[in-house]
Amino acid sequence: MAARTRLPLLFPKNLPPFRNQKPVHTEAAVKEPAYPPIVPSLTAKSKSARRRQVEEQVQKICASSVEEKLSLITRIQRKKFVVYPQTFARNADRWYQHFTKTAYIPGLPEKFTLDPEKTRGEEEEESSPPAAAQTTVPGIDDEAFADIRSLVTRVILQEHWHMKKHKPFLFREQEQMVAPLLRNLVTGLTHSLAKYNPLLLHSSLDINPQVNFYWRRGERIIPKGHRRGRLEPTRFQIDDHPHSQIRITQQLPQFTTLEASYTAEVPEVTLAPNLMPLFRRQYDNNIFTGAKLPDPACYGHTQFHLVPDQYHRDRMARQQKSDQVEVFLRANGLTSLFAWTGAQAMYQGFWNHEDVTRPFVSQAVITDGQYFSFFCYQLNTVALSVETDTNNPRKNLLWGTESLRLYDSVQDGTVVGLNDGVIKLLVQFLTNQP
Amino acid sequence: MFPEVAQCLKTAAPLFSQAVLLKDLRRLSAHGGARCLQARRHFGVSRCLTAKVPPTPKPREKVEIPGLEMVTYGERMHYVPGLAKPTYPPWEKDYKDPRHYKAPPTHEMPLYKEKPCYVYNQRTSALEGVRQALWLTKTKLISGLPPQLLSLAEDPANQIPDQDERVQNAIKHARFWDTTEQRPGKEKYSNTLLFNLLHLCATLQPSHPAIGRRILAENYSLAATWKRGEDLFQIRGQNGLLNNCMDPLPEVSGKQEVGDTADHVLETFYPVSPTIDLQKVHVYKEDVNSSGFREGYPYPHAHTLYFLEGADARCKLRPEQFRAKMVMFTFGNALARAHQLYGSEPQRVLDRPITVQAVGTNGRFFQFLVFQLNTTDLSGDDGVKNQLWLDEDVTLYDFAKVRPLIKKKQVKVPAGLAGYKPETFSKFLALYLHGAV
Repeated sequence: MAARTRLPLLFPKNLPPFRNQKPVHTEAAVKEPAYPPIVPSLTAKSKSARRRQVEEQVQKICASSVEEKLSLITRIQRKKFVVYPQTFARNADRWYQHFTKTAYIPGLPEKFTLDPEKTRGEEEEESSPPAAAQTTVPGIDDEAFADIRSLVTRVILQEHWHMKKHKPFLFREQEQMVAPLLRNLVTGLTHSLAKYNPLLLHSSLDINPQVNFYWRRGERIIPKGHRRGRLEPTRFQIDDHPHSQIRITQQLPQFTTLEASYTAEVPEVTLAPNLMPLFRRQYDNNIFTGAKLPDPACYGHTQFHLVPDQYHRDRMARQQKSDQVEVFLRANGLTSLFAWTGAQAMYQGFWNHEDVTRPFVSQAVITDGQYFSFFCYQLNTVALSVETDTNNPRKNLLWGTESLRLYDSVQDGTVVGLNDGVIKLLVQFLTNQP
Repeated sequence: MFPEVAQCLKTAAPLFSQAVLLKDLRRLSAHGGARCLQARRHFGVSRCLTAKVPPTPKPREKVEIPGLEMVTYGERMHYVPGLAKPTYPPWEKDYKDPRHYKAPPTHEMPLYKEKPCYVYNQRTSALEGVRQALWLTKTKLISGLPPQLLSLAEDPANQIPDQDERVQNAIKHARFWDTTEQRPGKEKYSNTLLFNLLHLCATLQPSHPAIGRRILAENYSLAATWKRGEDLFQIRGQNGLLNNCMDPLPEVSGKQEVGDTADHVLETFYPVSPTIDLQKVHVYKEDVNSSGFREGYPYPHAHTLYFLEGADARCKLRPEQFRAKMVMFTFGNALARAHQLYGSEPQRVLDRPITVQAVGTNGRFFQFLVFQLNTTDLSGDDGVKNQLWLDEDVTLYDFAKVRPLIKKKQVKVPAGLAGYKPETFSKFLALYLHGAV
């Protein structure tokens, strides 16, 4: 009975007006939340807990110093694909472009004027005045260029003509004949051009350095095992050993803006990486530019690579793989430069979830003693894993040339057919500065 | 119980005796020397192996009776007991097979000579060290670098901007930063340190253009011959990194000092012969003199030799022997050049003495050497001598530790680079710039 009585007085219909309306021109008082934010648990056996663990780890990495970041990212060892820059796999450059999200642009950026006199046959077609004007490099006069030309001639002659050497053993020819040539060329050119490029005065020249990089790209569903059915990111590791490299204290300027890479095309490979063939191993994850973190020369300038005997173009021609020669060079340039620029970016604190704010740029020259190929790489993004890549329009860019012949042959103490264009490109590469 | 025990022992015996077998075999072969483990088969497992081995029976002497034809089983194509073993005339291939080549004995080789030649190669470890090298090359030793080089080192115009900091960075890069592991190995860091220091010195090329007239050469083979007393000596081998120059190095000591060396008496070390530890060969080419390069080489003058202690893994030289190697090869380079310029006839006094420098290092210690060749007439002990300035065991830094040395809870040596000495790099730079200033 008492519950059913109407209580009109307790609940009047017309409440006094203006009570609920807030007064104008005042801000609402900020109320402290009475309870902590409702977040999923950290230790429960649930998907939201796993998500929260991942987020906590990401925030922990973002908040730590560069050394700790590197050690946290490379701490856990798992099975990963080992990517070899110098590989026998066919069409490796397309696969590697997909793994590193790189677009290939044939030719070099506008900064490096590619000399049209690539072969002697084309020289006759060219008219003489433009050919004569193009042998000079901006900033270097003819005399200095002539000095450099004679230096290159003498270096080639020393190894092939003047020094008395035994006949090279099987598969040791490049090591015996070409490696000292390349070393003398690099040191000679670097020291002669130090006058024109003050960066080289404070640079660090490494012989036989090591470059490593570790990253994640793509996902797969684990087919078998106790973790069957779950998603696993595919991990990659590059362990590269260039012949020599130059590291500098300041960063090289970018070739194009970050936004210009949005329209570039990266080939998609839908097949699994192990079909390339690419093999998985588990060992220490390393991220290394050539020197550890405390080194002041932490940015890269130019790398020089030597084509080993197994991949020499004569041997490839005997195995009817002449079309793979350029592919091999491109794959080599791509992976080596990606690893180097990626490691440089990580040394500055950028990683998967904190993408680079400025592009990292490096150059490479790959040679087998007679043929030279030039590559330029611009790293625009390190965010390659599945979580960060879905809305990432940026792509990395690789510019590269075909292989150009430096000289035709060495006969009777003279170098026949020395190509000035290649020397000019080498000089331009080494004098690249901000 | 007994048969079971016997059975157990029997089953255990082969295992036990196998172990004994192997142990005894190993002991025996180590004791006996050259015999390999598989030489003697042992089928009896219960006999002892250390018993005295009966001597191998001598094969029966084959008596050749001329005129008597032995009946052999050769025609029957299989062994027949009672018939003699056929002997065939020795067959030699009439074609040349490079995989199966038997060299003739030494005295039948075309280059065989009765008189032996003593060869110094890159793996020779001379017993008496620098003294032996001085006697062999007829040289007077002056310790410390020549005063011109020391003044060159102190000249501020010849120094690299921020020299100390950059050299310390170079050392740290070689010792700590060059690898993904904690610390690089000795061979790697000594190599990296040398190349880093060379790179630093070469960055002076914009201000000293004469540095551009040099080139590095590696793996070149040196050969030089000379006569000392009654014996013939040769120096051969691939020794180290060579810095070649288009222009010769200036002389370090003038004609007066050169003439004064004629009074100096060479130090002998009787009863040890000066040819000790040198390779004695009877098969050699006479009068080989080659600097390692053909004629018309644009960089004919040897400027500086760089020796690394860890370069040859098979040959570890002690410091004294390492210095002796440096002296000998510097002398070898100078002599090869002198023979090229003045001919192989021994010259009493050279008009223009030939100067060659050398730097040897093991990553921490440096040995600096300047050699001046004044004479190629090395047969007698009198006359003008060659000169050698040697600065030995100069440390570049005291400690480069990854983890600090703590004894009794006190830090004795801190982590990182400690005890850096700037004078050593100034000497290195002075040797590099000598001739280019």
